[in-house]
Amino acid sequence: MRVVVCLKQVIDPLTPASTLTLDQNDKKIRVGIVAPPVINGFDEQGLEAALRLREKRKDIEIVCLAVGERFNSDVMKRSLAVGADQLILVQDASLDTWDPYPIASALAAAIRQIGGADLIICGRQGSDWDNALTPYILADLLALPLLSLAKRVELNEGNRVEIERVLADGSMMMNAPLPALVTVTSELGALRMPSVSARLSAARKQPRQIALADLEVSAAPVRAPEVIDLAIPVTGRSCTFIEAADGPGAGARLAETLLQAGAIRLGGEGQS
Amino acid sequence: MTGILIVAEVDAGELRPDFRELMTVARAMSATVPGGIAIALVGAKLEAATRQAARIGADSLHVIDDHRLADPWPEAHAAALIQLCGELSPKMVIAPRTILGAEMAARLAVHCRWQLVQDVTQIEATPDGGLKCLRPVSGGAVAATVRAGAGPWVVVPRPRAFTPDETDTGSVVVAPVRHAFEPPVLATVCEAPKRIAVEGIGIDRAQTVIAGGGGLGGPGPFGLLREIADLLGGAVGASRVAVDSGWVQASLQVGLTGKTIAPDLYIAVGISGAIQHLIGCSSAQVIVAINSDASAPIFGIANYGVVGDWNEVMPAFRDALAGHAS
Ligand SMILES: Cc1cc2nc3c(=O)[nH]c(=O)nc-3n(C[C@H](O)[C@H](O)[C@H](O)COP(=O)(O)OP(=O)(O)OC[C@H]3O[C@@H](n4cnc5c(N)ncnc54)[C@H](O)[C@@H]3O)c2cc1C
Ligand SMILES: Nc1ncnc2c1ncn2[C@@H]1O[C@H](COP(=O)(O)O)[C@@H](O)[C@H]1O
Repeated sequence: MRVVVCLKQVIDPLTPASTLTLDQNDKKIRVGIVAPPVINGFDEQGLEAALRLREKRKDIEIVCLAVGERFNSDVMKRSLAVGADQLILVQDASLDTWDPYPIASALAAAIRQIGGADLIICGRQGSDWDNALTPYILADLLALPLLSLAKRVELNEGNRVEIERVLADGSMMMNAPLPALVTVTSELGALRMPSVSARLSAARKQPRQIALADLEVSAAPVRAPEVIDLAIPVTGRSCTFIEAADGPGAGARLAETLLQAGAIRLGGEGQS
Repeated sequence: MTGILIVAEVDAGELRPDFRELMTVARAMSATVPGGIAIALVGAKLEAATRQAARIGADSLHVIDDHRLADPWPEAHAAALIQLCGELSPKMVIAPRTILGAEMAARLAVHCRWQLVQDVTQIEATPDGGLKCLRPVSGGAVAATVRAGAGPWVVVPRPRAFTPDETDTGSVVVAPVRHAFEPPVLATVCEAPKRIAVEGIGIDRAQTVIAGGGGLGGPGPFGLLREIADLLGGAVGASRVAVDSGWVQASLQVGLTGKTIAPDLYIAVGISGAIQHLIGCSSAQVIVAINSDASAPIFGIANYGVVGDWNEVMPAFRDALAGHAS
């Protein structure tokens, strides 16, 4: 059975805002200093979910799929190093967009082209635009059931996928018949480190490139709102540092300072 | 035809309090989106919530009360909302940015091919019949102004970005319109949730939140934070590192994929201050940070800071508070 994991290449989300530059012509966020991109964190976790499934069921083929303007091949090949069987890259200038509709249309076309998938795993959201929309569009285009926010993914006998979905105050088991689409969240756990042997065999594997023109991409059903301006918000406050001879002294002085400033009211009054 | 349809989420039988923030957005938009404000109430055992919603000052109230909607089953709740939208043809739907609300919004927008504007912190109508909105992207590092064309629109306001609507609606009560739930075949199946009770008050209701992060090194030190929270009548929160490490439950998480809170006082202990965390707490009135690294970004948005080891600072902080309390 085939599991397709959708990987998005993004700017490293830990890039300090001070080093971001905003391209107002193209309405794009760029890293001012040259910092390598990363695989979207939730997507790495999606790959980890796929690898865990394959530990239990050997007949699983893991295909990683990324569409975008251009890729850092070393970064994307990390998916092969941890054990993905194949990495497919669809590169096209038109895919450098914040709009999830053309992205999902390209993903759907690529998945159709390779003969479909029994299970598609996506991250809960891209850390670039925080859209969290591509999986819904993809599931809609491929007419698949969608289960979201999985912290655990299992394949059941009877060809169903079961997930444990995170809730604000606990979790909930959900399942759907295959083929289906699942999104994962960070509680699933981090992507494993590549083993030495996997790394060596991955070094010989190459990503498969598919041109967008060779896919039968259907026109995007609707467009996302247009980005007309980008700005770096100013959030700074001026911090008063509490000085004291030692840590306990600082702790006591912090309490005094907050009480005097009226920031603390003891006794817990005033809760809404 | 309906102008604006607000999705009212129910929590433990009652309307979620942040419903009033959605009402603020609806009132502001109703000048340009004619047709009145309607409330959609979807769930099971909705008697109390229906009574509440009837007095909130909307023009109409539409209720789907069905046992199949007892659990927060996204596909079923979205189906109910899609059904109501089919019957009411709203020009704008406003949904809460909760786990369920955001998913209902996404499913509705994709299903109907309507424009979705998420995480909105400012919204205005444009002269050409569109919408102009401001929203954070990249974890809050960047603010994007987006323009949506002609509606219908699905709008998901950012929590705490709008003041709750306190309009006194006096004794005006609307009669609920009840709709039978007629879902299509649903492909997913859900079981009843396993809920983990939160110790004390939740972070989204507390006026003081003391949160711990990766710097605490394990679940144990959260006991100390709990003692301090109890002294302050507040709640304990956490960063994603603490949640993903399994030290505390997910409901404590503050940030982009956790909760957005705006307490009077936020105390961050051993939290670096990554942008994805700050977006969830930067609206707090006073922010205090305790971190051993003087260059930690959390100090950039703190009003008061202690550069030091929490092991040394926080027990003395607790003792000083306890001394005052007694
Ligand atoms: C798309 C996306 C969404 C995200 N959503 C969220 C979210 O909702 N919430 C969230 O919190 N994060 C979120 N993150 C993760 C975020 O980027 C950071 O990784 C996370 O906030 C770091 O948590 P932390 O500061 O507690 O841990 P760390 O980064 O491990 O920092 C620990 C801090 O503790 C300090 N410290 C260490 N020892 C001590 C000591 N003895 N005394 C005092 N201080 C000490 C260190 O100096 C350091 O600053 C998200 C990331 C992405 C990419
Ligand atoms: N360009 C892309 N290539 C591959 N997968 C993507 C791409 N964009 C989005 N996805 C998938 O969709 C998820 C949600 O992305 P988004 O809708 O951009 O927030 C991501 O976590 C990925 O799994």
